Amino acid sequence: MPGINLIHIITIYVSYAAFFAASLAAALYLVQDNAIKSKRRGVIFSRLPSLSFLDRFNYRSIGLGFPILTISILSGFVWTKSIYGIYWQGYNSRQLYSLVLWLSYALILHVRLKARLRGRKVAILSIAAFFMMALTLFGTCR
Amino acid sequence: MDLAVIGINHKTAPVEIREKLSFPANETIEANRLLKESLFLKEGMILSTCNRVEIYAVCDRDKDYVSGIKSFMSRYHNISLSEYEDRLYVRRDRDAVLHLFSVAAGLDSMVVGEMEISGQVKKAYQDARKSLTTGKALNRLFEKALFTAKKIRTRTLIGKGAVSVSSVAVRLAEKILGKLNDKTALIIGTGAVGEKLLLYLKKNGIKSIMVANRTLEKAQDLADRFAATAVAFEVFLERLADVDIVIVSTGAPHSVIRKDDIASLMPRRKQRPLFIIDLAVPRNVDEGVNRIDNIYLYNIDDLEKIVNENIRSRRGELDNCFEIVKTSADNFMSWLVSEKIKNDPSTGSGSW
Repeated sequence: MPGINLIHIITIYVSYAAFFAASLAAALYLVQDNAIKSKRRGVIFSRLPSLSFLDRFNYRSIGLGFPILTISILSGFVWTKSIYGIYWQGYNSRQLYSLVLWLSYALILHVRLKARLRGRKVAILSIAAFFMMALTLFGTCR
Repeated sequence: MDLAVIGINHKTAPVEIREKLSFPANETIEANRLLKESLFLKEGMILSTCNRVEIYAVCDRDKDYVSGIKSFMSRYHNISLSEYEDRLYVRRDRDAVLHLFSVAAGLDSMVVGEMEISGQVKKAYQDARKSLTTGKALNRLFEKALFTAKKIRTRTLIGKGAVSVSSVAVRLAEKILGKLNDKTALIIGTGAVGEKLLLYLKKNGIKSIMVANRTLEKAQDLADRFAATAVAFEVFLERLADVDIVIVSTGAPHSVIRKDDIASLMPRRKQRPLFIIDLAVPRNVDEGVNRIDNIYLYNIDDLEKIVNENIRSRRGELDNCFEIVKTSADNFMSWLVSEKIKNDPSTGSGSW
């Protein structure tokens, strides 16, 4: 299938950018949350956006990145098929990492959507998931 | 020629005396005219706010206009000079300029750095323009005063940081919840501090308010004044599921909100953040509540600590402000000389 590699690569980077933005908002959320909770000096001078803004930004970025990641993974399978003749390259492959990554973001969206978690814990999860994404992108050789 | 200010303020006199000497807003234009005409001043105007009454005058140096102005105040308000003479201050020339520039920038105010005074100075100046009692010198003096106040506001941190419990609470609420125009507040108890905070929330656009109190009539009364809804005290815990801000100020000697109450509420709240403000002494909310995710608890001491920090940081900024005031005052003084309203002191003539 022609162009599938292009779709694959573009969607990877777009979802990467979205998840990067999400984890950035999450990090700022944690800083701000901690400052307010611990009643730190000068907390009302902080120039960070409000917690509710950062939380919403994180959620929406993941909401945007997730379907794109899905397309990226699917197109990856198709691409693999066109090169190696098989969809699944086996374990310890980038494919496996990608699936784990997909599941982690699915989980985050799920708990957020079901309102099981919000705020601090979602922020921690989305930072962790982003590190996993970096691993998937740079950390595997095949 | 001489430029002088004669006045009384919150530092020199209690409100009982200040109120006797104050000029009602609807009389200032007439009073300005009376002042200038009866004393044959070159220029003159009154600045009267709740914290100060000051008369600015430009006059020939050889005239004893200071005692003239003093007796004008006595006659106008029909009180004897002996009641307040020792409370009056007189500043001339550069000192008078420094004084007005500090006043207009809020550096001389009870709450240092408050900016309401700029508006009051502006209003007094506009009234004086209407009464046609100011001229070249006072016009420029007041325009420069307002300009300097603006400069200080933008270039220093003097006006930064909330300096009342209510404004600190509202800033925090905005840090947590973002814009308040789609948020709901619940107040439990009808204390005076709580009411002040409600007023402030309202001013900052809160969408709706609910009031709960042991006596429903009192709740209803407060609710009526704020276009709010009164709820029965027994069900306020239920209401906690729907609100974004809770203000607690009951006279109860024990906790009215416990950690478990809130923790069990969170699923129903869909984990939405809740800002709890405990204004009561003794405290009405368990300290442990603050450890729940998405719940932020501040008590009256926490808020007052921030208020004090902000007041201190304003004081620390005063030196920078006075630097700006001095520079502007010096510029104004050299303008007076260049306009030949005042002779150059270095020529030794010693007069305006």
